Amino acid sequence: MLEADVELDRREFRLSAAFAVAAGERLALFGPSGAGKTTILEVIAGLQEPGRGTVVLDGRVLTRTAPPRRQVPPWQRRVGLLRQDPALFPHLSVRQNLAYAARTRPGPGTGRDEITRIAERLGIGGLVDDRPARLSGGQAHRVALGRLLASRCDALLLDEPYTGLDASLTRDLTDLVREVVAARQVPSVLVAHELEAAQAFADRMAVLDRGQILQLGSPAEVVAAPAARRVAELVGYRAFVPLPEDPGTVAGVHPDRVIPGRQPGRGVVLAGPVRSCRPAGAGWEATIEMVTIETASAETASAETASAETASAETASAETASAERASAETGGGGAGGGGAGGTLVPVRLREAPAGGGDFTFTVLAPPCFRPDGTRVTRAEEVPT
Amino acid sequence: MSWAASPPAQVAGSALRRTVGSASGVASLAGALVIWVALLGPVITLLTHLSWHQITTALAVPGALDPLLVSVESGAITLAVLLLLGTPLAWKLARGSLPFPRVWEAGVLCSLLLPPLVIGLLLIFMVGPFTPIGELLGHVHLSATNTFLALVIAEVYESAPYYVLGAQAAFAAVDPAIEEQAALLGDRPSRVARRVTLPLAAPGLAMALAVAWARAMGAFGAVVIIAYHPYGIPLQIWTTLQETGLPTALPFALVLLVVALPLPLAAYFWSARARGRRRA
Repeated sequence: MLEADVELDRREFRLSAAFAVAAGERLALFGPSGAGKTTILEVIAGLQEPGRGTVVLDGRVLTRTAPPRRQVPPWQRRVGLLRQDPALFPHLSVRQNLAYAARTRPGPGTGRDEITRIAERLGIGGLVDDRPARLSGGQAHRVALGRLLASRCDALLLDEPYTGLDASLTRDLTDLVREVVAARQVPSVLVAHELEAAQAFADRMAVLDRGQILQLGSPAEVVAAPAARRVAELVGYRAFVPLPEDPGTVAGVHPDRVIPGRQPGRGVVLAGPVRSCRPAGAGWEATIEMVTIETASAETASAETASAETASAETASAETASAERASAETGGGGAGGGGAGGTLVPVRLREAPAGGGDFTFTVLAPPCFRPDGTRVTRAEEVPT
Repeated sequence: MSWAASPPAQVAGSALRRTVGSASGVASLAGALVIWVALLGPVITLLTHLSWHQITTALAVPGALDPLLVSVESGAITLAVLLLLGTPLAWKLARGSLPFPRVWEAGVLCSLLLPPLVIGLLLIFMVGPFTPIGELLGHVHLSATNTFLALVIAEVYESAPYYVLGAQAAFAAVDPAIEEQAALLGDRPSRVARRVTLPLAAPGLAMALAVAWARAMGAFGAVVIIAYHPYGIPLQIWTTLQETGLPTALPFALVLLVVALPLPLAAYFWSARARGRRRA
């Protein structure tokens, strides 16, 4: 069990985060660059001292700023840290790298047979006599992981270790770490700025922004039900459409959470002309200019809005939202061809929308947010 | 299209660039060769002007090899002093763990930039017999002028900046991320230094030490002022030159090269090999 409660003043904001990770649990700290994720790991590893806080691992107090103060040095913490740079010892062979901790932490797990076993399990059995300089990126990361395993650390911290590697390698290594965590039953924390990386690893996610944990939940929950508009933006919601009957309130549209056609029972139905369409992966990414919106609690309303809210919109202000509302009430028909333009809604579809006319689609159970960015539960959010 | 016409011009341009490139390549190769031969010139000259007979007669004079012993002994002590005192300073400079790091660096540079002759003059005023330090040494029956101690002091002053700056570069080249991993794997700082930092910096340290050795062996400017006695090889060359002329001085020049060069050359080849192995 790893418990961390960290407060630290940074130049632009105060980092303040608290969480606990059970043995064998995998927590992802997800957030944009500069949110303070790495700092949290460094505090846990003892590389930084927090302004205020505690770090407790399996009942051992590693950091405590309240009296009696305690700051256990990194070499006594038994906390493993993997970074993007595998930081292997270039002057030692792979075997010596793996066995590096044996001298300071002798015991089961560091014997010659055990090292061989670990190397074999990680698929680097044939490389133990090589120098790190001869290894490929993926092999080097395997050795770095093996070195942590052999050091029998009590917690595993991963600071975006596999960014920059190709996708299949990342998948293999992530699976490997998951196996290791399950086998060793150590708490583990992954820092990631890519949602996919966080989801592939974690069974719980903390969304971090400007030093604050905005939401803590399962990877599915964080995406399906973001607790705040900022969380929604971070997990990939790219359009926020004003709800005509509720001034200031917006519904978040995630490009992946839409289905073509009109299914009012499953969420909000939007329609409008297709502004652009290009292939994305195996499907298509289209941008629809929203002209009409149909919610569960109101009749279809025309929503030819004056101000377009783009994907990277700032937090909606009440004024803008009510202005949109007003124009929605007074607006004319839904052609909207050359008009001022409505909200542009990017969606990802399996099939390219047919040309000509408006495209109608249903946003599945969209989360709705008040003007201040907080979540509001509405009838639209029927579970899918 | 607008760029359709440009390929011929581009081809001509690149051909021109190739010619210029090869011309400048030839020029730079020639320049490199000239400077290399010029640098080696003195060594070649020395070897062509020496006969085996000259060497044996010059070195057969009783006591002729005493300066060699003096030089090697004082040089060894100088290296020990540098290793002991210079290494920690170099490490702290490389890690920026000293307050006002620029001031410290400037201090080291200062001693590098001072002409050795000036260092010798100033040392007389610093540790000479009528100075506080000199008097202090006198209490323990030591003197820092015209003694073996004086020779070591002069050699330390002449070689220290070369070692400290070289060692600093060697330590700076060690990736802190690797030291961090060693610490997280359970090594306290002294063990990290022994198992990671020093082995990784060793090739660079060896090079720095080799340069310092060559400087110490050849130290003359400060030595001639503060430590005229006992003779090391450089002073032996100087006095022989003064008393009996060029031909008798030359064999001692060879002795100096034979003593001063092997260590640096060995260090060079070893560090080049060690670096190659880590990069391979």
